[in-house]
Amino acid sequence: MALLQEADRKVLKEKFAELKNPVKMVVFTQEMECQYCKETRQLAEEVAELSDMITLEVYDFVKHQEIAEEYNVDKIPATIIMTGGDDPKDYGIRFYGIPSGYEFSSIIEDIMMVAGGETGLGAEMKAWAAALDKPVHLQVFVTPTCPYCPRAVLMGHQLAMESDMITADMVEAIEFPHLSNKYAVQGVPRTVINETIHMEGAAPEPMLLAKLKQAA
Amino acid sequence: MFRELQFPKHQSYLRDWSNLEDWTNLKKMNLNMDLGMGLSNLGGPKEYDVIIVGGGPGGASAAIYTARADLRTLVIDKGLTAGALGITAKISNYPGVPGPIAGADLVEIMRRQAESFGAEFLTDKVVGVDLSSHPKMVMAGTDTFHAKAIILATGSMGRTNTVKGEAELLGRGVSYCATCDGAFFRDKPVAVIGNNDEAIEEALFLTKFASRIHLLVPTPAFKARQVLTDEITHHPNVTIQMGVRLKEIVGEDQVEGVRIQPRGGEETVLPVNGAFVYLQGGQPITDYLMGQVETTEAGCLSVDAEMQTSVPGLYAIGDLLCSHIKQAVVAAADGVIAAVAVDKFIHGRNKIQTDWK
Ligand SMILES: Cc1cc2nc3c(=O)[nH]c(=O)nc-3n(C[C@H](O)[C@H](O)[C@H](O)COP(=O)(O)OP(=O)(O)OC[C@H]3O[C@@H](n4cnc5c(N)ncnc54)[C@H](O)[C@@H]3O)c2cc1C
Repeated sequence: MALLQEADRKVLKEKFAELKNPVKMVVFTQEMECQYCKETRQLAEEVAELSDMITLEVYDFVKHQEIAEEYNVDKIPATIIMTGGDDPKDYGIRFYGIPSGYEFSSIIEDIMMVAGGETGLGAEMKAWAAALDKPVHLQVFVTPTCPYCPRAVLMGHQLAMESDMITADMVEAIEFPHLSNKYAVQGVPRTVINETIHMEGAAPEPMLLAKLKQAA
Repeated sequence: MFRELQFPKHQSYLRDWSNLEDWTNLKKMNLNMDLGMGLSNLGGPKEYDVIIVGGGPGGASAAIYTARADLRTLVIDKGLTAGALGITAKISNYPGVPGPIAGADLVEIMRRQAESFGAEFLTDKVVGVDLSSHPKMVMAGTDTFHAKAIILATGSMGRTNTVKGEAELLGRGVSYCATCDGAFFRDKPVAVIGNNDEAIEEALFLTKFASRIHLLVPTPAFKARQVLTDEITHHPNVTIQMGVRLKEIVGEDQVEGVRIQPRGGEETVLPVNGAFVYLQGGQPITDYLMGQVETTEAGCLSVDAEMQTSVPGLYAIGDLLCSHIKQAVVAAADGVIAAVAVDKFIHGRNKIQTDWK
């Protein structure tokens, strides 16, 4: 059974007509598919079908271990949104867990952003990102029923696209309980920056920037 | 009427999800049902001339004027019974409306009037703004919007103080969003504190996860719609206590209980793992500004004669302003002043369509 409804397909097709550059989705799953691996893959397939500008590569986390390592993917299901075509580029945009519920819109926004080639971040944030000389890793914990979460995820992914120093993961808190425990996540969105700095909620750019400066 | 989101925060998901057994099913439902949710907004434009935050008499009146001036107007309001006029049982002193009329009905009339001139209404809660961006950005629960000008009309039903432990344990069991965080409290006891529609709806949502919900109502009676109070009163997993004060949220690294005091009774600690707080008070609601606009120590915004704050293009009206007389007609008049100023700000003109010419 299709996951995407016909009406949504139509909306997305129209949206994707604006795509100017090729986008690649990379999905890591497993032969013995994990919880939501099947749905994550199917969802990616249904999205990729909607535009010639979107290609999809699906890998097996176990069988294609080297590729997983190349992409620095350490858990599944994982989805990557990156520039496709002849000159592919991986920005460090990651979704761990199924991007369902409110997070489905994050995937779509990311596709549009990557194809557009512009993050839309403010001047101050861009200047900070451009001057970075150390890696920054953001993990944005979410649940699919959290309306405020995509905002936090998107900002993380904007940053990842802005700078090669930055990687940003969406982490679906319920699917990765060990991570939720490790980072004491009991409320979402919660952004963990470089393991040490935490931020609750979806904050505007200046607030996130202040936190980022603390971390790097 | 308000534009219904496919996933309105305070409405139908209780009905839609009422048969759900567990989180897996919930997520499956998300797959089938909710994927389109964020999408409805992807296609359409999200740019407005003016966004009005709060649709009470202040915000709705401003919308009547900005819409008539052909400004693309969006009003975002979190609920009809969440504002001061919305909860007023009877009002008889609004000029031209002899009444007595229920406050909520009067607000509805104003909103419909604004809609008839082209203003759009959205039921959602504004959780943040970014005033440094151009155009300015307004973040609501379900989407983000841009506008050249913003009118703040969120009234003064905000909480005066948080209780001890609340800020420290935010994200560690203290939450203001059951739909976001409910899943962390599977098979655990939680407390929901509040008396309005929002509190009850969130408590009902939590019945999908929590082993027991203690609904702690600060007043002797609910201030919510009958359908909701009926549903919550009959729910087997919900224990209701009326007239209890929340004194403290207790816990080291995470919530271990809530210290409460029943009217005329002894303080006790109720052991719970989660505390969902939906209390109201008499403080101007400015939390979503996240400190981007200066306020006085009492949390009050300052405005000039045109209702403009210290940020150009940002206006504030009605009960939100501490200095003003707290009456519906005053809030409405403030709204009109701000609307004219917004038109001038955007078009550089000092006139608005008037009827009497
Ligand atoms: C019990 C009572 C009786 C009253 N009786 C009278 C009377 O008889 N006559 C009279 O003239 N006045 C009366 N008043 C005062 C009158 O109700 C207020 O002065 C008036 O409602 C103020 O209007 P407002 O638009 O500024 O704010 P409100 O009416 O409080 O409206 C604020 C709106 O903002 C929305 N909101 C708040 N936060 C957010 C957010 N974050 N995101 C989205 N939306 C948000 C709320 O949903 C609400 O609809 C009474 C007030 C009360 C409490």
